[in-house]
Amino acid sequence: MSGILPTPASSEGVASEPPVPGEEREGTEKAIEGRSPWLLAWQRLRRDRVAMISLVIIALIILMAIFAPLATAITGHPVNEQYRQTGLTPDGLPTPPSGEFWLGTDDLGRDIFVRIAYGARVSLLVGVAATALTVVIGVVIGLAAGFLGGIVDTLLARLIDVVLSIPFILVAVALVSITGPSLLVTVLVIGFFSWASVARIVRGQVLSLREREFVEAARSLGASNSRIMFVDIMPNILAPVIVYASLLIPVVIIVEATLSFLGLGLPPPTADWGGMISDSQNYYTVAWWFVVFPGLALLITTLAFNLFGDGVRDAFDPRADRMTAEVSGSTIEVSSGTVEKATE
Amino acid sequence: MTANPEAPATMTSQRSPDAPLLTVDHVSKTFPVHSGGWRRGSAAVHAVDDVSLEIRGGETLGLVGETGCGKSTLARCIARLYDVSDGTITYDGRDVTHLQRRDLRAVRREVQMIFQDPYGSLNPRRRVGSIIGDPFVIHGMGSGREIKKRVQELMERVGLNPEHYNRFPAEFSGGQRQRIGVARALALQPRLVICDEPVSALDVSIQAQVINLLIDLQDDFGLTYLFISHDLSVVRHVSDRIAVMYLGKVVEIAETEALFTTARHPYTKALLSALPIPDPDVADSRSQTILVGDLPSATDPPPGCHFHTRCPRAQADCSASVPPLEPVFSDPPGHRTACFHPLDTGEELPSDASALPDLASHPGAADTSGADRTTTTGGEQQ
Repeated sequence: MSGILPTPASSEGVASEPPVPGEEREGTEKAIEGRSPWLLAWQRLRRDRVAMISLVIIALIILMAIFAPLATAITGHPVNEQYRQTGLTPDGLPTPPSGEFWLGTDDLGRDIFVRIAYGARVSLLVGVAATALTVVIGVVIGLAAGFLGGIVDTLLARLIDVVLSIPFILVAVALVSITGPSLLVTVLVIGFFSWASVARIVRGQVLSLREREFVEAARSLGASNSRIMFVDIMPNILAPVIVYASLLIPVVIIVEATLSFLGLGLPPPTADWGGMISDSQNYYTVAWWFVVFPGLALLITTLAFNLFGDGVRDAFDPRADRMTAEVSGSTIEVSSGTVEKATE
Repeated sequence: MTANPEAPATMTSQRSPDAPLLTVDHVSKTFPVHSGGWRRGSAAVHAVDDVSLEIRGGETLGLVGETGCGKSTLARCIARLYDVSDGTITYDGRDVTHLQRRDLRAVRREVQMIFQDPYGSLNPRRRVGSIIGDPFVIHGMGSGREIKKRVQELMERVGLNPEHYNRFPAEFSGGQRQRIGVARALALQPRLVICDEPVSALDVSIQAQVINLLIDLQDDFGLTYLFISHDLSVVRHVSDRIAVMYLGKVVEIAETEALFTTARHPYTKALLSALPIPDPDVADSRSQTILVGDLPSATDPPPGCHFHTRCPRAQADCSASVPPLEPVFSDPPGHRTACFHPLDTGEELPSDASALPDLASHPGAADTSGADRTTTTGGEQQ
C-alpha cells in the first residue's frame, strides 16, 4: 500500500527546494513530511516575481520604520527639530532638497527625509494593527454567524448590514472629535468599520463548510462547537482571509493617511505621511518636494502591498488567473502572462 | 461468512446477555421544508418513518435500500448527529434519545461512525496524525507523546505507514483515506461502529481491501457493525442480518441467508432479482423484476404501504392501511416482513412489469406512464 505513495522529494521539483526560512513548522526534522497547503502556496508565491519584488520593497519599508532613528543619526536631524535658520529660506519658505536636507524641508524647517522615515512607523503600525483587529473581529463574528446559524446568524447578519451601511468618514469625524485624535482611536475606528466585510466573506465560507462530512465526523467524536469552529473550520477559511487581509493593509494605510489629512489622525507633531501631505497644501506651488516625497512614500508602500496581495491571491488560488497546464513535464501558458514557471 | 460465531462479542453488555446493544424503537425523523423567505407551509420530508430495529452485540446488521430511502438519516439519528423527531433510541440499556452533549460524551466514545466520502470526511487542512488523534484530544486522553504513539499504532493496524503521520489527506488515495477514517473511528475502542456506505465511493478492487479490513477489525476488537450500503453483494458478504428499507420504512428484516433464499417482501424480491449473476446463461434464464417508476417523494409518501405505487402485487388494502412488520407464513420471529401479500417460498414476482394493476394514482406517486418504464433497480445496484 505504502509503495504507491511518492516521497515528497521525488514528486515534482518543488519539493527539493531548501527549507523555507521564516516558515515556522513543527517537526521539520522528520524524514516524511507532508507538504501543507500553506507551504504549497508559499512555493507558488516564491515563483511570482512581482510579488517577490513587492515583498522586498515591503521589507525595506519595514526596515526603514524600525531603523528610523538611524536616519536621524546619519543626517543629524531629530525628527521634530525645526531648523529655522538653515531649513527655511529668508522668506520663511521650505528649502529644496540639498546636501544638508536630502529631500528638502517642510514649512517649519523640519527634515522631510527623517520625517518620512518616522512616518513609515505610523503607517505600518496602523496598517497592520487595524488589519489584525479587523480580521480577528471579522473571523470570530463570521464563524459564529455561519456556524451557529439560526437567530445568532440573523442578528449578526443584520449587524453586518448595518455596519456596512454606516458612512465611515462622517462617523469617524464625529468620533475623533469626541475622543481626540490618537493612535488607538485611529486603529479602533478603522477596525470597527472594516470587520463587516471580512465577517461576510467568512460567513459565506462557513455556511458551505459546516455541511461537510468532516464537521459531522468531529461532532460524532464529541467535539464541542467552539472546537469545531476554531480547530476544524477555521483552518479552511484562513486562505481567503489572508488574501483579503493582504489587500486590506494598503487600504487601511490609505484610510489612515486620509484621516490624518483631514486632521483626524495622530496629533502633531507626530510625523505622519497623511499629515505631511495635509501640511503641504499651502506650499506645494512653491515647494514641490513637500508634497511629492510623502506622496511617493505612500504610493510605493500601498503599491507594494497591493501587488504582494495580488500575488498572495494567485498563490492560494492558482486557477483563478493564470491558467497553466502541465503537459509531459513542460509548462504551457494558456492565458496571457509571462512564462515564469518554465524558466525556473 | 464474516461474523465469527466462535468469537462472540468480547465486551458483553452489563445488562442481560441477550439484550440488544442498541434498540431503535419507533423512530421517525422529519425535516421541515421551507418555501419562500417566510417560513410558512408545514411540508416535511419524512426521511425515517417509524423504524424499529435492534442490533445485538458482536453482530453485523446490514441496512440496504435505494438512494434516498433514509438509510443515512437513520444512521445519523443513531449516532445522535440528528435529533430524532419521535421514538426512542436505547444504547446498552440506556435511553440516549435526548441526551445533551455533556452526557452524550460517554456514548460517543462507544458509538463511532465511518463515513461514505473519504474526501469529505477528512479535514483537508489538518495532518493525518492530528485527524486520527482528534478523539484522544477531545476526550482528554493522554499526552501529546502518548497520543502520537497510539495514532501510529492505529495507522499500522489499518494498513497505513505510520511514518505518514505528518501528511495531509490530499496526499493519500481514496482507499487509504478510508483507512484513515477507520483508524479515527477505532481510536476510542468503540463497541458499535456505524459504517455509512464505507466503500461506495471506492474503486471495486479497493472495496474488497477495506471490507476485509473491517471484518478483521471486527474479529479482533469484537465490534458490532451497522453496515449501510446500497450494494447487496457487499452487504451479503459482511452481514449476519439484513434490514431492507424503502422510503423511510423497514420493509423486511431477516438473517442474511433467509433473506436471500426466502425473501417475503415484493420489494426485497425485486432488489434481489437485480443482483448481477456472473454466469451469463443463468443470468439470461432467471426472471428479473424491473420496478416501474421512481421512488415517490418522501415529502408526501403514499398512504398505507409506501411501496404500493410500484408493487406488482398491490391490492386495495395496501393503500388503505400500513402493514405491520411481523413474521409471515411460518417464518421464525427474527424474520419480519411488512406486507399484506407476501411471497410464499418459491413464489416469483410477475416479471412483466406491465401487469401492474392500475391503481388510483396518488399525488406522491411517481409517473408510471410509458416513457418512464425503464429500469429503476439501478439505484440499488451499480
